[in-house]
Amino acid sequence: MQREVGTLPLAPALRARLAAAGFQTAQELLDTGPCGLSKEIGISREEALEALQVVRQECHGDAARTAGGSGATRKCTALELLEEEQTQGFIITFCSALDNILGGGVQLTKITEICGAPGVGKTQLCMQLAVDVQIPECFGGVAGEAVFIDTEGSFMVDRVVDIAAACVQHCHLIAEAQEEEDHQKALETFSLENILSHIYYFRCRDYIELLAQVYLLPEFLSEHSKVRLVVIDGIAFPFRHDFEDLSLRTRLLNGLAQQLIIIANDHKSAVVLTNQMTTRIGQSQSTLVPALGESWGHAATVRLIFHWDNNQRLATLYKSPSQKESTIAYHITPHGFRDVQPPAVAHSAEGTGMNPRKRPRTEEEKQ
Amino acid sequence: MAAKKLRRAQLSQEMCERLSRYQITTCQDFLCLSLLELMKVTGQSYYEVQKLLCKVSRACAPKMQTAYEMKLRKSVNPSSAFLSTTLHSLDRVLHGGVPCGSLTEITSPPGCGKTQFCIMVSVLATLPLSMGGLDGAVIYIDTESAFSAERLIEIAANRFPTYFDSDEKLVCMTSSIHLYRELTCCSVLKRIMSLEEEIISKKVKLIIIDSVASVVRKEFDTKLQGNLAERSNFLARGASVLKYLAEEFSIPVILTNQITTSLGSGPAIQADLVSPADDLSLSE
Repeated sequence: MQREVGTLPLAPALRARLAAAGFQTAQELLDTGPCGLSKEIGISREEALEALQVVRQECHGDAARTAGGSGATRKCTALELLEEEQTQGFIITFCSALDNILGGGVQLTKITEICGAPGVGKTQLCMQLAVDVQIPECFGGVAGEAVFIDTEGSFMVDRVVDIAAACVQHCHLIAEAQEEEDHQKALETFSLENILSHIYYFRCRDYIELLAQVYLLPEFLSEHSKVRLVVIDGIAFPFRHDFEDLSLRTRLLNGLAQQLIIIANDHKSAVVLTNQMTTRIGQSQSTLVPALGESWGHAATVRLIFHWDNNQRLATLYKSPSQKESTIAYHITPHGFRDVQPPAVAHSAEGTGMNPRKRPRTEEEKQ
Repeated sequence: MAAKKLRRAQLSQEMCERLSRYQITTCQDFLCLSLLELMKVTGQSYYEVQKLLCKVSRACAPKMQTAYEMKLRKSVNPSSAFLSTTLHSLDRVLHGGVPCGSLTEITSPPGCGKTQFCIMVSVLATLPLSMGGLDGAVIYIDTESAFSAERLIEIAANRFPTYFDSDEKLVCMTSSIHLYRELTCCSVLKRIMSLEEEIISKKVKLIIIDSVASVVRKEFDTKLQGNLAERSNFLARGASVLKYLAEEFSIPVILTNQITTSLGSGPAIQADLVSPADDLSLSE
């Protein structure tokens, strides 16, 4: 109730008038009443009433917050967080080596970024995850739906059909082997049509459409509350060309990252982004680093880099708050993303020979 | 979409006028501002500005479709999903032929037959649907002046002698292949931007660009400062327009590329012009 007028979410012109009239706290406003307020400031009675309602809502919101209230609060103890994290599911990738280095799979409420050269398998993994998020809980999945935002046009429906068919087949085999009743029931709803109908696809052609779509996502996710995965395939593509003003680009990307973090947390879904690689030209050699610059590196919680080694595809866990940095090999088969047979032994990242984090400070960066 | 004017985004007249005083007239200008800046220019409260943001976003955002709807739409017309190249083993490997609705890149060292392939595919595209063609016109953007009309007629007459039995048919076929000779990156880009209207008016079913690499290599020397960024800028803009055209009209787009040597720590290996060490917008 002692809240200052300057901190209330009112229109700036109104705030200026209130300050000029000498109002300092929210309590003063509420005591004056709408008629008094309208006479003192010179606004209409309806406007005064609206302003007072906003103030009242804010103050009640404050009171609820300080009383340790509901979901609007974002604070909790580490113990509560631990319990939450332990019960949280992971989205498996069907490549057990990759799941292992990620600590179980793609984590919900976190942003995972996949960087790599073209053709290495980023979109394949995204399509695999869009199918895997729908696996029913009795088979170890999170039984959610997926939103796929495509900026490059690399989403192939036929490929998703192949991946989904292989996934359904896999679940059928498990159900036959274990013969439990809830498995059979879950399989009735886990069909090809259902899987495809629960992948919501948006094709964004430039960065404005991408920004607009991300602004509209919270509303979409409240309507479709079962969504547990948001994939943005190609976050770099719309931001890499046609941007003379790099500071605007950084600002927009930061805003985007903030929005995505809020979406991941509020709706308990995993956000997966794919990024391109760019060349950082150093003094003696040039290295491949993820695109969009250093500040974008802070946006993602978990970063995976996919690269080639002769003919073998490798995935390196480049950044993770809880897992060790390691590299594994994977395969893209007609059924989707899979292990290399036999499952590869994870070896440390020294073998990859590139560690751009160790760059000297005087080096010029190529954004 | 980005250049959409705000008054078409269902904002009130007075709001549009107020915003135009700050030079904010398109959705792009509006969405690039932060929430605080928007509050300042609109004079509205935090919640009101969020509602406005949603309104403007709705005007720009793409339509949602489920993967199932996409599959149904594709399965309704399966034959139009590919342009068969009439080389059976190639068609088998490509699962049907050159896919419609996406970009296909053909790469090889010089003299292997890229231009010949392009000429042949142009003939195929003009054939009627019953013969496996697309029954439409072809836009051929030639940057190397390698297109030979006589060779075109030779291929057509020898490959399909029963169909092209009269001069009339040949005339009809050749008049539906529109050739554009562009010799600089700038003119190639301008031509690509102007293609949308041509596709509709001439009922084009195939776009061929032969070749992207030659103009790019002529103009951009990557050893010079700043050229790499400009080059990738050009490639990315061209690529995004071509992708839009391919998807919008569901037609195949064929691009040809050249081979360059990528000098790594090992022996020099042959690689594509837009190799992974460079900006790879075109390969995406």
